[in-house]
Amino acid sequence: MKNSNTFKKIVFAILATTTLISCERNSTYEDTKPSIAKIAVLNPAFSTLEAAAIKGGVAVVLSNYNTGDPSGHFTVFAPTNDAFLRLGLTSENLSLLNQTFLTNTLLYAVSNGDLMSGAFIPANLSGSAFQGVTRRFVNRGEDKFINGSKIVIKDVSAINGTVHGIDKVLLATGGNIVQSALAVQSGNVFVQKDLTYLVEAVIYCDLLAALSNPSANLTVFAPNDQAFKNLGLALNLPPFTQPSDIRQIPKATVTAVLLSHVLGNGGKFTSELNAGPVTNLNGTNLTLGSYNNGVLSVKGPSTTSTPSNMTIPDIQATNGVIHIIDKVLL
Amino acid sequence: MKNKLLFNLFMLTPAIVLAQSPVSGFMKEKGKGSAVISYASEKYNQVYFVPSINDGVPIFNDVKIASQSLYLEYGVTNNFNVVINLPYITATGNATEATLKDLGFENKRAGLQDLKIYSKYNFHSYVFGKNQIDFIGVLGVEVPMGYKADEGLQSIIAIGDQATKLNVSGMMMYKNQCGIFASGQIGNTFKNNQVPNALTTETKIGFAAKRFYIDAFFATQLNSSAGVDILQPGFTGFLPATKVNYTRVGLNAYIPIVKYVGLTAGANTYLSGRNLGKATGIYGGLVFNF
Repeated sequence: MKNSNTFKKIVFAILATTTLISCERNSTYEDTKPSIAKIAVLNPAFSTLEAAAIKGGVAVVLSNYNTGDPSGHFTVFAPTNDAFLRLGLTSENLSLLNQTFLTNTLLYAVSNGDLMSGAFIPANLSGSAFQGVTRRFVNRGEDKFINGSKIVIKDVSAINGTVHGIDKVLLATGGNIVQSALAVQSGNVFVQKDLTYLVEAVIYCDLLAALSNPSANLTVFAPNDQAFKNLGLALNLPPFTQPSDIRQIPKATVTAVLLSHVLGNGGKFTSELNAGPVTNLNGTNLTLGSYNNGVLSVKGPSTTSTPSNMTIPDIQATNGVIHIIDKVLL
Repeated sequence: MKNKLLFNLFMLTPAIVLAQSPVSGFMKEKGKGSAVISYASEKYNQVYFVPSINDGVPIFNDVKIASQSLYLEYGVTNNFNVVINLPYITATGNATEATLKDLGFENKRAGLQDLKIYSKYNFHSYVFGKNQIDFIGVLGVEVPMGYKADEGLQSIIAIGDQATKLNVSGMMMYKNQCGIFASGQIGNTFKNNQVPNALTTETKIGFAAKRFYIDAFFATQLNSSAGVDILQPGFTGFLPATKVNYTRVGLNAYIPIVKYVGLTAGANTYLSGRNLGKATGIYGGLVFNF
């Protein structure tokens, strides 16, 4: 009996000493707020953003306090997985985006300090961490938007700032409309080049200066390459194989067609567009379809034309907004 | 003398898996020793992050760690033993090929981890009746064998922390004539390479008979306040600088097969942690006593 008691006492002493000294308990940190980067990691709805932040080199930045703001905080408009999927992007194919553009896209979603939902005042501008390029708040019905992106999650508090979830990736090139088109044309947005026919057409029609005008503030419906190839077929021209093939069409005709794709309405995001006619720079009317899940169809002036769809809407340029579409508007 | 003989049956030191102390409270007699070759495997698909556990390992989804280990213990004197341990570790992630290509990462890291050389000295034994308590001091060094842990988030599957370490520990070992034993070990590990120092403890209780040995252990690690949390303020992308804490429990067992040769096996799992995978592992090994 004495032996048993001795053993119990000794074991108890050993167990108590070592256990009490250094047992890790969740309570030691469970009240700690996650960082913005950690919110992306912990929430499955942001797994593409997590991968993008790693690939884009901002994961560590968004783990830490913001040294560029007295509060030490950032505000991030975080695209959900569905937002990336609109661009055909998942956590496994982010290399489809140009690396620099990916980083700039992430920075465009970031601003200094805490920007709470109460400050989402329509028409107010918010500077971003991407060269200071601004974003604009929009109210549409009961919903709040930043540019064309609907804010679907509001005011998630992080240890180093605030996160809002959005349903579209905020896109900006940092350049004007022509520079933006050139960026897409040269593979500096998506690695896969596009808008090569449009850029050729703009050059062909001497519209570079007009579309580069810093005070223009235009809305541009930009047909993608496939749209121009389909146009060539529709016009019974030899199949377009290179951008210069657009020059088979008379310059005046191409100029008129291009101008019909441009609205001088202050540069509108999808969140600011409504169904109905809008007058283009050619003096004719385009017809917008109803707003549906963040996009609208666009129909050309001809009564026989079929509506085009937006493939990549809401690209912010310094002098307007670009919506890439899948058909040339006739 | 009778007591001493029985005590010396408990010579096995099966502390050969990850997250267990390389030293036990059993001392080898002068000129005696044991060698263990073992295979350990553990895997995890959850990570103890701050402030909550995360399903899925970032980038790698789930991680498997396999370890082939050589373990030697030798009695220089009855009261002074030397322990050498050298594991070869393979850490394998499960990221998709597309993710690996996208991020420029790889799913595997393998190599010799840390050469561990420990010495332990039984500086006092207190015998009362059929009981004995040993007071043991431990001094160990661990030297990384050339692997890398500074590859940014690729190092989520690094095989170690790439730090040279100095461990100073004290241990109290109780054992009695019935074969029951219990030990408590506490120590501090000092690390270079921006890796935070760690306070480690291990409590073990077990039973050793002539034909088998079994113990259960409870091990903890607490880093110094110098460490940071992964993807939290202070994190620079250098994973070894993170604060790695844990509470781990497990079982070890040994049975002799023939003279000088036996088999050892065990299992272990984490109960809580910070900045590490919630792993469960098993191991098995062949023991040569000489």
